[in-house]
Amino acid sequence: MKSVIKHILIISLVATITTDNIFAQKKKTARVQVGYFKNYDKAEHLVATLIVKEKRYVPLSNGVIHFYSVSDTSRVLLSKIHTDNDGKAVFIINDDNPKIIKGPSGVFTFEVEYEGNSSVNAAKRKIAIKRGDLEVSFFQKDSTKSIEVSATEIGLNDQIIPIEGVNILLYVQGTFSLLNFGKEKTDENGIIHIDFPTDMPGDTTGVLTIVAKIDDNKTFGTIESRGEMNWGIPIEPVKEKQRGLGDTDAPLWMVYTLIILLSAVWFHYLYVIFLIVKIKLVNGSI
Amino acid sequence: MENKEKKQTRRKFFFKTATAAIGAISTAGIVTQSCKKKVEEGETVSLLSPDGTLVEVDKANISMAKMPAQGKEARAGIPNKKFVMVIDLARCRNARKCVTNCQKMHDLEPGDEWIKVFLMQDSNDTAPYWFPKPCFHCNQPPCVKVCPVGATYKRTDGLVLVDNERCIGCKFCMTACPYSSRVFQWKDPVHENQADHDYSPETSVPHKVGTVGKCDFCPDMARMGKLPTCVTGCPNGVIFFGDKNEDIVTNGTESFRFSELVYERAGYHFMAELGTEPNVYYLPPVDRLFDYKTGFKTLTNEQKEFYKKSIVKKH
Amino acid sequence: MDLDQKSTRTLNYFVPQMVTISKSGILQLSILILFIMGGFYALYIQIVDGHIVTGMRDNVVWGLYIANFIFFIGISYAGALISGILHLLRVEWRHPIIRIAEIITIISTIIGPAYILLCMGRLDRLHHLVLYGRIQSPIIWDVLAISTYLIGSIIFLYLATIRDLAALRDYPFKSKWRHTLYKFFAVNFNGNSKQNRYLERGLNIMSAIIIPLAVLVHSVLAWIFGMTLRPGWHSTIFAPYFVVAAVFSGTGVLIIALWVFRKYYHLESYITKIHFNYLGIILMILGALYAYFTFSEYLTSWYGSETWEMEVLYKLFDPHEYWWWFFFAAIVGVVVPILVILIPQFRSINSITAVSVIAVFALWVKRYLIIIPTLETPLLPLQDMRPEYIHYTPTAIEWLLTFAGVAMFCFLFFLFSKFLPIVSVVKGEEGTNYAELRKTVMQRIIKRT
Repeated sequence: MKSVIKHILIISLVATITTDNIFAQKKKTARVQVGYFKNYDKAEHLVATLIVKEKRYVPLSNGVIHFYSVSDTSRVLLSKIHTDNDGKAVFIINDDNPKIIKGPSGVFTFEVEYEGNSSVNAAKRKIAIKRGDLEVSFFQKDSTKSIEVSATEIGLNDQIIPIEGVNILLYVQGTFSLLNFGKEKTDENGIIHIDFPTDMPGDTTGVLTIVAKIDDNKTFGTIESRGEMNWGIPIEPVKEKQRGLGDTDAPLWMVYTLIILLSAVWFHYLYVIFLIVKIKLVNGSI
Repeated sequence: MENKEKKQTRRKFFFKTATAAIGAISTAGIVTQSCKKKVEEGETVSLLSPDGTLVEVDKANISMAKMPAQGKEARAGIPNKKFVMVIDLARCRNARKCVTNCQKMHDLEPGDEWIKVFLMQDSNDTAPYWFPKPCFHCNQPPCVKVCPVGATYKRTDGLVLVDNERCIGCKFCMTACPYSSRVFQWKDPVHENQADHDYSPETSVPHKVGTVGKCDFCPDMARMGKLPTCVTGCPNGVIFFGDKNEDIVTNGTESFRFSELVYERAGYHFMAELGTEPNVYYLPPVDRLFDYKTGFKTLTNEQKEFYKKSIVKKH
Repeated sequence: MDLDQKSTRTLNYFVPQMVTISKSGILQLSILILFIMGGFYALYIQIVDGHIVTGMRDNVVWGLYIANFIFFIGISYAGALISGILHLLRVEWRHPIIRIAEIITIISTIIGPAYILLCMGRLDRLHHLVLYGRIQSPIIWDVLAISTYLIGSIIFLYLATIRDLAALRDYPFKSKWRHTLYKFFAVNFNGNSKQNRYLERGLNIMSAIIIPLAVLVHSVLAWIFGMTLRPGWHSTIFAPYFVVAAVFSGTGVLIIALWVFRKYYHLESYITKIHFNYLGIILMILGALYAYFTFSEYLTSWYGSETWEMEVLYKLFDPHEYWWWFFFAAIVGVVVPILVILIPQFRSINSITAVSVIAVFALWVKRYLIIIPTLETPLLPLQDMRPEYIHYTPTAIEWLLTFAGVAMFCFLFFLFSKFLPIVSVVKGEEGTNYAELRKTVMQRIIKRT
């Protein structure tokens, strides 16, 4: 009898421990980050990034992000988008989307929300942006090449207002990244002037892409504009090397040496074989 | 179901899912890296543009992107590029992310490392430092010279690649390489879902038994405007990669003019006296961000002992 | 073909041995076949499981196989250089030994390259050498040189046996196939003056051409190592060093082979002490030359004391690593043969053979020491957690294939001895021919002046 009780005790103990464990399992903290981007082709989009705390924050893929347009009084669902492998979900802002609400003084407010699941907590984040624009123009006087960038924003009644005192960065587009070569604050007309470096290489014809950017601004998000100019130093087109130790074809001296050596030897072989044939043929008297 | 960051190699992912590009949004082909699931749902697909931002487009606008180059194209190289790597020894603390990322992307077995991190000490009186070493993609590559069948070759964009469908496994290149950059496939490769990939010297997978493999500078990624996986994996921004013709190198977050960087930081070639003219430059380990000892943190005790023992000795 | 008395006697002596096999012969043969089968088994395992079954890994990518390759190509020098030179110099005592030397050449030139094939990861892609061959690669040089050398050696051996083949054709064998075989290969040779003249001309050409070719083959082989930027390999004297080492070991193997056949076939009346003495003296001179190269090689790298050269030297001189092997290969294997042959009182058939065995073994070890310590000393530190990637230990598979190679060498020798007398039966008439040659040369010189 005692042993039975003992067993029951143990079983219930084990049960409590396991159920405790299930209840003790805490949900993981999630975070959504959101940014506004305007590409050089004027396409506007919101990028939401969903991350979850493991040891450190890691992206969560295939999570559903709800995009809302928000005003003081209302909240309209714009779209539900799954996050990709990097935990990113992208919503494209179309000018003619009737669901997007324009707030006072041209401010748009969006909210992104992740509703969570059994193991991950919910998370949301708001972003308020003004829609701006960048215009890049190029000037060349003698040897000085200069770039003018003008920054504007769209007011409440769709009028265009210059942005003053915003940082504009200038880059050259590389294969893998942008290379910064200038940074300036806009004046009261929303304009900056920056000289282009004289020693920047371009492609084989000297063409390179110049990028102007408002980067991760609190009010305007990220706005990008670009233009192509032949201001670079043309690079020599890369030609395939001819005949070397490391190339497909061998150096000529090597080819000739080999041919001479081999043919000298093989000529003698053939001659000796010819001699053997002659031995066979002169089957005469001794 | 939501699952955590998929434990797939990125390279595998490209092949498995619809590798797609669109012409609708930008002139430069934008390539997707999205979930398979979304494609099935038929609504939208998230795409990554060459400048690294994501855009969302309708599935109908998607067409298949270029696969990694094959045949002649894979032997010729990306036109008018000259790939170059700069490794800042002052930043390395042996986090080993370059190694593991590379192993993941190239389906390498544990122990097989295409980029290695050595613990170096130039003399008994000088401080040890960590030394990440990929293939140097030399301009005078001893391995290419000796290959009897041209299975390893030099391209116009500076890369030295291996065609493991031509390699006869003589291992001459392995003895010729003074930098121990080459790895032989001693047994049948254990590959997960590799068989359904087409092989290209630009991806270096799938491996084949009895052939040689090595660091390839990830040219398949470069074709998509993406950095090699060791560069993006490094948490300390140690490795810079770029095009010498453009004179820009980047570690993913910072970009420099290549010429200025190696000039100002006294960049050098490792064992330049061998005359191999590497395309990998090192920045000396001065004003270091970390003490070299922090590099032991990521290691097991066994590894620690081992590193300490095998540090370069001067007799 | 008319034979003189001595030739007839020789022929009558050898033919019975060619057509029969003794009981002990069958036993020895089956042991050889057992070893060869063991090799095939090992080869099967290696093909199925990949090269993981060998001791080779990423640092030591070449091991026993390449050491065997150099060794066998080395002993192939026995025939090429020695018989070539002896023929050109019309050395009279060469006749009983020249056949054995040439057979050694051919067999080892067949077995040697087989080891390269064993070392190749993809045997199924051998045809890529033809499809995509790059003549900048020393491996292609090697392929061309060795195949040319092998064919040259076969032609040389064939020319030197035509007279014997003719004699065998005329010998009343019981079996018909032997008749057909010898008749075909004897190319109607009946010793008339024209045929003799053609034959001598062919022999002169071949023996003259085989000498530079042999030198070239071993130089190319050395360049496979010399062309790399590796300590202990990247040396300008590597080519002549390999050539000298090869003739040294080739002469050693020739002496051993002579001793074995002398005992086995009771050739005491054909192979005499004179042959051992002469070959012993050649061995001694080559040993001294080899010692000079060895000394020069290691003195230079020690004196210059470049970091990596020193790393290799330290390994060779470290009693915990390779010192005793190095001591045997570079000192014992040279000094003992030289001393024993130098002092006339020590000189005997058995002692000369014994020191040849020592020299041949030492040379094999030397090849191992050329390859392994260098590959175990890469220019970057060996920071690998896998011990088998740091130190090379040959596996049973590699040893099986090594022994199979030696067994194959003996087996092929045995086969040859069943088709041809291993001592040449019919002497040529080069004496008259030589005079004729000298006459024509003189006439040309006179014409010019």
